Amino acid sequence: MKSIDLGKMTVLQLVERFTSLALGQSKAELYGETEKYNRLYDEIVAIKQELKSRAGDQRSALVPLFTHPNPQVRLMAAQWALAVAPVAARQALQDLSDRNIYPQAAYARQSLMALDRGDSKLI
Amino acid sequence: MKFAGAGREFARVNNVDSFWQDYQRRRWMRPNAHLYVRPDAALWQQPDRKLWQAPDLTERKYNPDQPRIPAGGPDGGQWTDGSSGLIHLAGDIPTGDSPEIPKEKPPTSQERTGLLKDVARRISEFGLTIEAFAKVNAWLRTRSAEIESYGDPPKSLEELQRDTSRSAPGYDIHHIVEQTQAEKDGFTRGVIDDPDNLVQIPRLKHQEINAWYQTKNPEFGSLSPREYLSGRSWEVRRAVGLDAMRIFGVLKP
Repeated sequence: MKSIDLGKMTVLQLVERFTSLALGQSKAELYGETEKYNRLYDEIVAIKQELKSRAGDQRSALVPLFTHPNPQVRLMAAQWALAVAPVAARQALQDLSDRNIYPQAAYARQSLMALDRGDSKLI
Repeated sequence: MKFAGAGREFARVNNVDSFWQDYQRRRWMRPNAHLYVRPDAALWQQPDRKLWQAPDLTERKYNPDQPRIPAGGPDGGQWTDGSSGLIHLAGDIPTGDSPEIPKEKPPTSQERTGLLKDVARRISEFGLTIEAFAKVNAWLRTRSAEIESYGDPPKSLEELQRDTSRSAPGYDIHHIVEQTQAEKDGFTRGVIDDPDNLVQIPRLKHQEINAWYQTKNPEFGSLSPREYLSGRSWEVRRAVGLDAMRIFGVLKP
């Protein structure tokens, strides 16, 4: 795969790419493609790091994705923007949990449990 | 239908999900796309529609006057919103309406499992019955035990451990502490297969939990739970195993 210079992308382009990668994870999960899911995860983390490094910490640009129709997009956005939008991110995670949308509900519950215990790695 | 900006470049360079995304876009551009919108779709609309711009799908009807992308290009003839020539569609919105299910049995195990999970999740989320799907694909009826067991409510550990001598249709015997990894780390089969480590859980939940063990997870420092547990004590593994069953709605909190 051709590498992409994230540093040359605008914030909006990074958010679009983040969305596409999460949609790819959604499909990979459904078809049991774990390696692909994990590869896409790494790319999502790279985008999160790039957004974080931008002036003013641009992870807040992920907040609009909390209402994206795809639950995997909502999950990834809520987890990786939790540090900059904790209330709204927690609400998005709680919604995934309450609606029993699997498997995202399980990942959301895990993050909520960690937040309640005070040992979340997302803060 | 086109990707916009970086999305188009991403699809071109990576070709990761272009087929699936193209499929989703085509689906949402159908004249009957409103059939795929869940009743509470408005909850997911962004007020400013910055990142995805969904037309008012609930009112979408076939309109021969709807503008199309001019012929000559790769997307020539496809619907457009008439403004920029590009529409960001909503992606995959779960729906309570009849989903697109192939009439024939999917040819590969991977496709069959994906379809089973998709149907079971829709039934569970929207309170549907398998009958709505089995009308379309009789093959699904042969897997009804797996689909129906997926909707089981959470149970106590005692209930899950009640009969683990053999698995019932639609259920699997699950090791609370993962057996393969535990064996690799030196735990004996006697400990691994002890009745205290066995539960009977819905097969599709079993598969979801197995996948969870293998996928990278931010709460484990971006390690997979399996990687995180490597070399750790039985007690830690069991605590994680019980948590996994709780978060997947198998074990009561």
